[in-house]
Amino acid sequence: MIGLLLALHLATCGLLAATGRELGRHGLLVAALPPSITTAWALTRIGADEPATATLGWVPGLDLELAFRVDGLALVMTLLVSGIGALVFLYAWGYFGSSAVGVGPFATALIAFSTAMLGLVWSDSVWSLFVFWELTSITSFLLIGHKHADAEVRAAARRALLITAAGGLVLLAGLVVLVDETGVSRLGEMGPISGGGAALVSILLMVAAATKSAQVPFHVWLPGAMAAPTPVSAYLHSATMVKAGVLLVAVGSPILADVAVWTSLGLIFGFGSMLWGAVGALRHRDAKLILAWGTISQLGLMIALLSIGSAKATFAAVSILFAHALFKAALFMVVGEVDVRTGTRDIGELSGLWRTMPLAFGVAVVSAASMAGIPPLLGFPAKEAAIEAVLGLTGAEAWLVGGGVVLGSILTVAYTARFVLGVFGPGPEPTPVHPPRPAMTAPSALLAMLSLAGFVAIGAVNPIVGPASVRIDPQAEVYDLLRWPGVTTAFLVSLAVVGSGLAAGLAAHRLGSGAPDPIGARSVDALIDGVVVGARRLTGRVQHGSLPVYMATMGATVAVVAAPFAWSIDGADIYRWDSPAQAVLAGLMLAAAAVAAVLTTRLGAALGLGAVGIGVAGLFVIQGAPDLALTQLLVETVVVVGFVIGLGHLTRRFPAVGQQWQAVRLVVAAAAAIGVAVALAGSGSSPVGQPPLEALTTQAVEDGGGNNIVNVILTDTRGLDTLGEIVVLVVVAIGVLALAASARPREAS
Amino acid sequence: MIATRSPIVQLGIRAASPIALVVAVFLFFAGHNRPGGGFSAGLVLGAVVALRTVAGMSRPIRAVPLLTAGGLLAGAVAFLPMLWGDPLLDQVVVERSIPVLGAVKTGTALAFDAGVTMIVVGLVVAVLDGLGADDLATGPDGGR
Repeated sequence: MIGLLLALHLATCGLLAATGRELGRHGLLVAALPPSITTAWALTRIGADEPATATLGWVPGLDLELAFRVDGLALVMTLLVSGIGALVFLYAWGYFGSSAVGVGPFATALIAFSTAMLGLVWSDSVWSLFVFWELTSITSFLLIGHKHADAEVRAAARRALLITAAGGLVLLAGLVVLVDETGVSRLGEMGPISGGGAALVSILLMVAAATKSAQVPFHVWLPGAMAAPTPVSAYLHSATMVKAGVLLVAVGSPILADVAVWTSLGLIFGFGSMLWGAVGALRHRDAKLILAWGTISQLGLMIALLSIGSAKATFAAVSILFAHALFKAALFMVVGEVDVRTGTRDIGELSGLWRTMPLAFGVAVVSAASMAGIPPLLGFPAKEAAIEAVLGLTGAEAWLVGGGVVLGSILTVAYTARFVLGVFGPGPEPTPVHPPRPAMTAPSALLAMLSLAGFVAIGAVNPIVGPASVRIDPQAEVYDLLRWPGVTTAFLVSLAVVGSGLAAGLAAHRLGSGAPDPIGARSVDALIDGVVVGARRLTGRVQHGSLPVYMATMGATVAVVAAPFAWSIDGADIYRWDSPAQAVLAGLMLAAAAVAAVLTTRLGAALGLGAVGIGVAGLFVIQGAPDLALTQLLVETVVVVGFVIGLGHLTRRFPAVGQQWQAVRLVVAAAAAIGVAVALAGSGSSPVGQPPLEALTTQAVEDGGGNNIVNVILTDTRGLDTLGEIVVLVVVAIGVLALAASARPREAS
Repeated sequence: MIATRSPIVQLGIRAASPIALVVAVFLFFAGHNRPGGGFSAGLVLGAVVALRTVAGMSRPIRAVPLLTAGGLLAGAVAFLPMLWGDPLLDQVVVERSIPVLGAVKTGTALAFDAGVTMIVVGLVVAVLDGLGADDLATGPDGGR
């Protein structure tokens, strides 16, 4: 079934890619089909005893496979990815008017993301996890950049891609070490690990999770990602993709819970983001940015709770994960509707919407109350579980963690209150409102009702979040979400949190504020631009286009690199010659080389070089290497003819050269020549074992069936090398042709 | 630099071309047991093309088709065995007795070498093109 569902998603991707332009925004309705079917399947899996699994071979020799396993945790994520996904597709259909352009590709990218995200949450093999992780980054980049005509949108998309994709590389490094440490590549089969390797894995995986889940200081991409159309923000940047980091921490917990750095790093990221995100949500004026910063904060809470490692905290984290997706997606949808119907998202400009958009107002109040943890909504029991979990801690940890959670919760209530008051509250003059769009209201209303139903029928939510927490920590089995916990300490803390939060929110609303500078985003952009400019400058400096300077650089490099060989020359190995004929040839070659250096005509120099090459062929003959001699002779011939053709375009004589530059060239040439000679002498003096002549001969004659060992090696025993070499030849030929083609129009003009 | 189109040079090259072709074919097949091989054969053919270019004579071949054909041929020999589950570049050797020639042995290595030859010739032609050989072959003044 898993394979079938993924295939259905992929087929829809292909269909939309092919027909997206004709279908336009109706493609979104087609795209809603696979997520709906997946949701139905996931609903039937609730309470199933055995996880559904599927395996696809990939490269069996490398132990690479696409292994999928839908356990309790994956099931929660599936419900979010596909359930909210289906609603988002419907919502997007309403969001884009019939005149909107580029909706076809948008629908394709959105369903592609849906596919990648499903693959990610179902992955059991770490390699499929990595592949789908990166695919979500790429589809997210495409979706953020939907309005790519705007330079700021492009910058935001680039920032998001660079940060999340860099995190993906960190993830890959972490997974490689993890597989090395545990010896298996299936997440479900990994046992707890400890030691130095485990600490390294902890750091890498936690950083990867932090980039994906927009944790401070990697959070800067998420506010920028709000440049995407609101359906994308509701889907990717609140309910699903940013949860991938949380999911990574969740599946990493059973393996790394005993590692100190895992816990402490998770708490630092978690609490840092929880508080800084909440502060950000209180500072911004754009309703979407308020929600985005709130998402950073809530994701921080989840990661912090998962890092604590107690069963109760894990259970609370999963409950919040589930509740958060419901209310945050609904709130984003409401903001999108406000944006479409009023033309602004600035809470300073909006007023009186509670009267003119009553349905959206109702949805917002219900969802915001769930976010603030107020009964009778699903957010309440989830937050109660979190507070109970931190109350269960002891010692300094209790004060630190407890203080963080309570402060974060107060701030959450505060920015929630400010959000509702700012968007819907009364003002001097009611904002004019366009006619309603039912396709936008219906999905958000359904999500808000689910937040309510989740509380009323809490017995239906427990079988969803229960097994998910048990997958992370088997001891979480004993916990259930409670509708009414009674007047416990946690309840009293909750009450105080809501009270002080409301007060703070009201104060912040009264105060008002200007939109703050996106400092972090600026510096990331400056960094990227700096790299681009620096690279361009460096390239300009290095690739200056002067052939003599290139040659001099290469010659000097050869001289420097060869210098160490001088120490490995063994004087005893040096003798005059094998045969006097070598001396004669050497003399001729030296003379030819001197002529080539002294002559001022280009053709003369070319012929001199050719003479040197033919002399080398003669040396090969004396050494008994006819194959080499033949090849050398042929190469030399072709090169000389090539010179003749090439020189046809140039002046007859070399251009005059300044004296200083002439001196530099002389010195460099001499140094390079000495370097090569030294390197050859040095390498000749240090033979590494006996040459495997015997083996090569037998192999060539018996396996290859030929007596020319060189050629049998080339075409048979080491055929792969030759294949590589001819690939190089083809690439060189393509390069030459491309160069010639690029030069031609200039000549013509 | 290049001499004007001398009829003597042209005649000489025209006369030498078939001989060079025979030499190339010989080198190609001799490579199994004696000096030679696909690379040398390709160079001889390349030299023929280069000489014809210098003399301002027509060039019978183009770089891109040669490179494509050679790459496809060598690639096919290299990768086709994998379809039957054999390792990359697995060789098949055929030995037959043919009238006149006697015992003849050949194998897929020959096809691989033929691919190498084509690519070498293709590279030479590409470089000649890059050096502006087109002007020489078709230019109005035939070379300066």
